[in-house]
Amino acid sequence: MGESWRGRRWWWLGGTLLAAAGAVLIARQSIDTQRALFETDARIVHRLLSQQAVQHDAILDTLALLQPGPSAPGTTANEQRLPALYPHILAVQRRDRDQAWPDGALTAAETTSQRDRRAVIAAASDGDPDRYRLVLAAEPTSYALTLSVRGMVPWTEWPMQPNNSPVRISLALGEQRVDLQTGDTAALDAGQGWRFSFHKPLAAASQPFEVVAERQLGWSQLPWVRMAGWTAAVAAVLALVAQVQGLRTARRRAEALLRLGQVARLNTLGELAAGMAHELNQPLTAVLANTQAAQRLLADDPPELDTARGAMAQAAAQARRAADVVGRLRAAVARPQRPDATITDHEVDLADALRRALHLLEPECRRRGVVPELQAPDAVRVIADPVAVDQIVHNLLTNALQAMDAVEPAQRTLRLTVQRLDDAGELRVADQGTGIAPELLPRLFEPFFSTREGGLGLGLSLCETLAQGMGGTLSAANRPGGGAVFTLRLPLQEPT
Amino acid sequence: MNTLSPTVHLIDDDAAVRESLALLIGTVGLRVIPWADPQAFLSAFDREVIGAIVLDVRMPGISGLTVLDTLVAQGVDQPVIMLTGHGTVDMCRRAFKAGAAEFLEKPVNDELLIEALQNAVRQHVRSREHHLADREARERYAQLSEREREVLGLIVAGLTNKEIGRALDLSPRTVETHRANLFAKLQAESLAQLIRRYAALVDEHDAC
Repeated sequence: MGESWRGRRWWWLGGTLLAAAGAVLIARQSIDTQRALFETDARIVHRLLSQQAVQHDAILDTLALLQPGPSAPGTTANEQRLPALYPHILAVQRRDRDQAWPDGALTAAETTSQRDRRAVIAAASDGDPDRYRLVLAAEPTSYALTLSVRGMVPWTEWPMQPNNSPVRISLALGEQRVDLQTGDTAALDAGQGWRFSFHKPLAAASQPFEVVAERQLGWSQLPWVRMAGWTAAVAAVLALVAQVQGLRTARRRAEALLRLGQVARLNTLGELAAGMAHELNQPLTAVLANTQAAQRLLADDPPELDTARGAMAQAAAQARRAADVVGRLRAAVARPQRPDATITDHEVDLADALRRALHLLEPECRRRGVVPELQAPDAVRVIADPVAVDQIVHNLLTNALQAMDAVEPAQRTLRLTVQRLDDAGELRVADQGTGIAPELLPRLFEPFFSTREGGLGLGLSLCETLAQGMGGTLSAANRPGGGAVFTLRLPLQEPT
Repeated sequence: MNTLSPTVHLIDDDAAVRESLALLIGTVGLRVIPWADPQAFLSAFDREVIGAIVLDVRMPGISGLTVLDTLVAQGVDQPVIMLTGHGTVDMCRRAFKAGAAEFLEKPVNDELLIEALQNAVRQHVRSREHHLADREARERYAQLSEREREVLGLIVAGLTNKEIGRALDLSPRTVETHRANLFAKLQAESLAQLIRRYAALVDEHDAC
């Protein structure tokens, strides 16, 4: 009991560990996949935005190179057509020689641009963080672009669904920060689970915005269904293993019980024999000792007649005691007598009985290389107790197989015949063994007579008793060609 | 019958067996004391008397083999004949190993039983005689003085009086006196008898 409980505890512990380890592995794998996806998206976003920024540089460079050409009066300057081409370019400003920028921020930016020989950023005139200006100093005319941060996002090439993607994308410049895509704000604010983040400045020195991508993977986003599925699979496999184990244990237990039963039966038999020996030996010892003492007393000169007489009386009394023991034994093991045999007896087909026994003994036949030949031309039905007939046939077949162990396998034949006589059904079991020594033939059906080493000598005795109990006979003979034949005859079924 | 005639103790719980065997054994002049209860036998029987013990293997309460073990453990020297109704080889081996003199199967033939009993009694008498002689020799040997034991040792070793005198730094006359004394004390009539009876004791003493 304790053993099985401890075993079960280990099964539980192992199963839990296996399920937990698998679930953690699944979760990790899922997190890693999500992280890789996130990083790919972030890199794409960075590349797209960088391309935009580089494009701004290129536009300014082109403007500076071309300088304002002659334009027909009354028409807009060429550069003013740019906002129509690029929606995120909100305005284009120019400062011609000897003119001044409308505000100081632009002037300061131009100074820096002159020094660094590249475009320089300036804040929007109204301080709107969504707008910035880009100034390039050139001779004679310098240009400035006013750009919309949100407007420069190329949504058509965007790798995510901007409205329902959980990733937050922003562009940051110093303290200023513009969200291009808000992402899953609630999760990002709660901050539970795993946070992925990506920071990288745009690949344009003139516009040092930092691309910031963030994603929060919450507990609820773990692949719970798959994890639960794994746990269930582990549980199912363990349950199956436990069931198989249980079945095997049950089978082993059944086998052990069977063996135990056989041993117990043998022990009971041995105990019975020992008890019988003791119970009979005591009076027999007394009988023998008394008669032999009497013999000696009578041989004395003069004979001690009185003592001898007493001894003989004792001997007689003890002989009766021995007879009583035998009587008690018979009463103890007597089979209940059937009041009316015809009521419990059934119709038995002898060939069927033979086939049943052969089926049971098939492994024995195969092991010995014996192929039984069954000759049953027509159905022979007798009145008998089916169990008793089965027992007799089984016994006769077993004896025949064992009798042929002494001869060459090639010689072994087992011939079984069923035929109808005038008043009886006959079943013959003929073997090709060594036969029965003629002097032993009359004793074959005596109880406790066995020609086999270690044999109890009860098998044939029991068979004969059973056959006679059903109004039949069992006889044995040697065959002319060698081997023995046993013949069972049982009364035929009365035609009704 | 006097108490010195050989006595057979017969232990069997079955009255009929006990009485018939007692009658049978009695026909050859052996005294039989039957016992129904092995425990009563163990606590009351006369351990000094010459004789033998006949013991049934299968008895209620205590097995014959256990009784045999107890007897051997107590140093009882009467030979034990075991009787059994269903002797197995194993049981037979156990009985002999435990010290049984004979192992007979019931029902037992009179000649077999009586011969076994007579052998057992003879064996017991011999062992008692041997034992008695041994005890007397020890008692006599114990009466010798230290010097006489030395002289005896050298006599047994085969030395002459002269050689003994030289070995023990004694005059031959003194050796002769010791020799005469120890022959008298040990009641030996000849040198051969002396050596036969006491050589073992001298060896035993030297070894100590």
